[in-house]
Amino acid sequence: MSVTVFHYVFLATVLFSIGAYGLLSSRNAVRMLMSIELMLNAANINLVAFSSYLGNLAGQAFAAFTIAIAAAEAGVGMAILLALYRNFRTVNLREIKELRW
Amino acid sequence: MIEQAWLIPLFPVISFLIILLFGNRMKEGGGYVAVAFVGLSMLVSLLTIRDVFSVGRYESEGISWLGSEAFRFGILIDPLSAVMLFVVSFVGFLIVVYSLGYMHGDPGVQRYYAEISLFIASMLALVIANNLVFLFISWELVGLCSYLLIGFWYRKPSAASAAKKAFLVTRVGDIMLLAGILVLYANFGTLNLSELFELAPGAPLATLTLASLLLFGGAVGKSAQFPLHVWLPDAMEGPTTVSALIHAATMVKAGVYLVARAYPLFTPDSLLVVAWIGGITALIAATLAVVMTDLKRVIAYSTVSHLGFMTLALGVGGYAAGIFHLLNHSFFKALLFLSAGAVIHAVHSQDIRDMGGLWKRMPITGTAFFIGAWSLSGLPPWSGFWSKDDILAAVYGYSTPLFIVAAFAALLSAVYISRLFFIVFTGKESEAVRHAHEAPRVMTVPLMILSLGALFSGFVRFAGFEEFVLGTLPAELAEHFAAHEGGHGFVMTLSIALAALGIALTGITYYKPVLSAEKIRTTFKPLHTLLIDRYYLDHIYLFFATKVIKDTSTIIDAIDSYFIDGLVNGIGKATAKAGEVMRRIQTGIAQDYASWLLLGASLLLIIARLRGGAA
Repeated sequence: MSVTVFHYVFLATVLFSIGAYGLLSSRNAVRMLMSIELMLNAANINLVAFSSYLGNLAGQAFAAFTIAIAAAEAGVGMAILLALYRNFRTVNLREIKELRW
Repeated sequence: MIEQAWLIPLFPVISFLIILLFGNRMKEGGGYVAVAFVGLSMLVSLLTIRDVFSVGRYESEGISWLGSEAFRFGILIDPLSAVMLFVVSFVGFLIVVYSLGYMHGDPGVQRYYAEISLFIASMLALVIANNLVFLFISWELVGLCSYLLIGFWYRKPSAASAAKKAFLVTRVGDIMLLAGILVLYANFGTLNLSELFELAPGAPLATLTLASLLLFGGAVGKSAQFPLHVWLPDAMEGPTTVSALIHAATMVKAGVYLVARAYPLFTPDSLLVVAWIGGITALIAATLAVVMTDLKRVIAYSTVSHLGFMTLALGVGGYAAGIFHLLNHSFFKALLFLSAGAVIHAVHSQDIRDMGGLWKRMPITGTAFFIGAWSLSGLPPWSGFWSKDDILAAVYGYSTPLFIVAAFAALLSAVYISRLFFIVFTGKESEAVRHAHEAPRVMTVPLMILSLGALFSGFVRFAGFEEFVLGTLPAELAEHFAAHEGGHGFVMTLSIALAALGIALTGITYYKPVLSAEKIRTTFKPLHTLLIDRYYLDHIYLFFATKVIKDTSTIIDAIDSYFIDGLVNGIGKATAKAGEVMRRIQTGIAQDYASWLLLGASLLLIIARLRGGAA
């Protein structure tokens, strides 16, 4: 059985779902950031898989951009979390709900 | 001068502005300015009229307003305008001169002269307008000025309410006039009078009948025709000079002028209505004039009655006769009003029961009143006789019932005016009269000039007045209406006999009391009550205004405040309530928002899939 584009898409779907689950269910903001990272990479896999399947390099170029931006996002996200922690003494986002009605 | 005719209304406008702005620093509140400018405008009018004799007709290019060809306002001078210009500027001028004496010492003179200048200006503009919208604007200005002047002594409640009444009642007519103008515009696409007259013969009769009847509705309001005549007698609350101006020269003549002006638009059907309204008005107002005891009110009802005669004349096709009566009426009615003003000025009362034997005290005023009364009564040879005779002759050839109505109204004319003269100027001197003395020169001189007019204006009939006036109409119409005119032996005899009979009847009642007025009153008690209460028309209108309209308004108000407002407020409240509920979604927890986001994105995907998008 050879590896087809279907397998890549399936892998991406699984990764994306795990990431989404982690994002919605984690208490800890650091884990949420990690989950977002998973979702981003699921998208990357899709991009690369289709790029190779269609013989079009644009997808891979986009994947490279996504990786770079994900790195920046992780950096900014961590910085925000640190600032949050200094203010609230916690990184549990369920306890930080100042912006509600 | 005919090309400069636009100056005619301009002069009084200038005087209006000058008096309005600087009148308080001038002698007599700027009265001399008003006299000078109205005089100037009279001069230009006379020069213009002289040109009409040679040119016949002149229409200016005009200025277009709002860039629309329908609103191209110019001036139109033809024989009809010439007659009106003469009446308005000449009688207006005399009245302004007379005001110098009559209004002397009134605290509001500045306002008076400003308003009266504007009044004369708008009336002059009305009679030279060549466009119906231009005419309508002047028409409304006339209405506004009459409102201001009738309510001149606005601190007096009766004056204030009379002004309101005049304004509201004429408004009913104004709306109809506006509707008529709209109908004409919708059908002909132009509001220029000459163009309308050219298009009219080819138009469907029904359209023309509708439009002309609506125009006539405007005239009914302005010229105080039945059933909208109720405002005119109340309009006596203003200064007597204003009454004279409204009655003799300006306002009420506007309606008759409008009918005469738009004459080519009238169909036989609408002329029948015009004739009957005129006849009814002439009769009803004359019966009322017989019982009134207020000096000015009697003359006011007499005006209504004579306006009815003019309308009747126009309705039955006596075009020249109607205009002729308009001219004569201006003189003798202005004369009667101004001499009545002199009497009121001297006696300080308007009730004729307070008066009597004034002849000895005020010989000049008395003579003037006598001349006016003679002219109005329709006894030869003065002006009122000739025009009334022409009207009766025209009616005689048109319809017998109308002729009987008109003849009876003519008889009553003689009755009420001689009654007035006998009561006020002859008989025993009353207490109030004993202190009366003759009016100052500035008031008596206009009276003398007007007397000359009232005596001799009738003779223009023999100087080709009829042909001159008929020059206004298109040739074939003029020919058609000329056929109706001409003296009629039987009619003339009857008219003289009726006038003589009327005067004789009053004479034996009031001058040499063979018959007792008191006895007549008691014998015809129900009739007398009906007349004193003015056929209950005022009551009916009042009932209509207070009960019907007010109740309807209350219901509509309730619908507005409960239903409409309820709807609007309900929408507001529902929105607020919805917000109250919906804001609970904003939990402030980041993960909740993320869930919504995912849910939404999934929904979009599902929808895209169901609608057959990319797999």
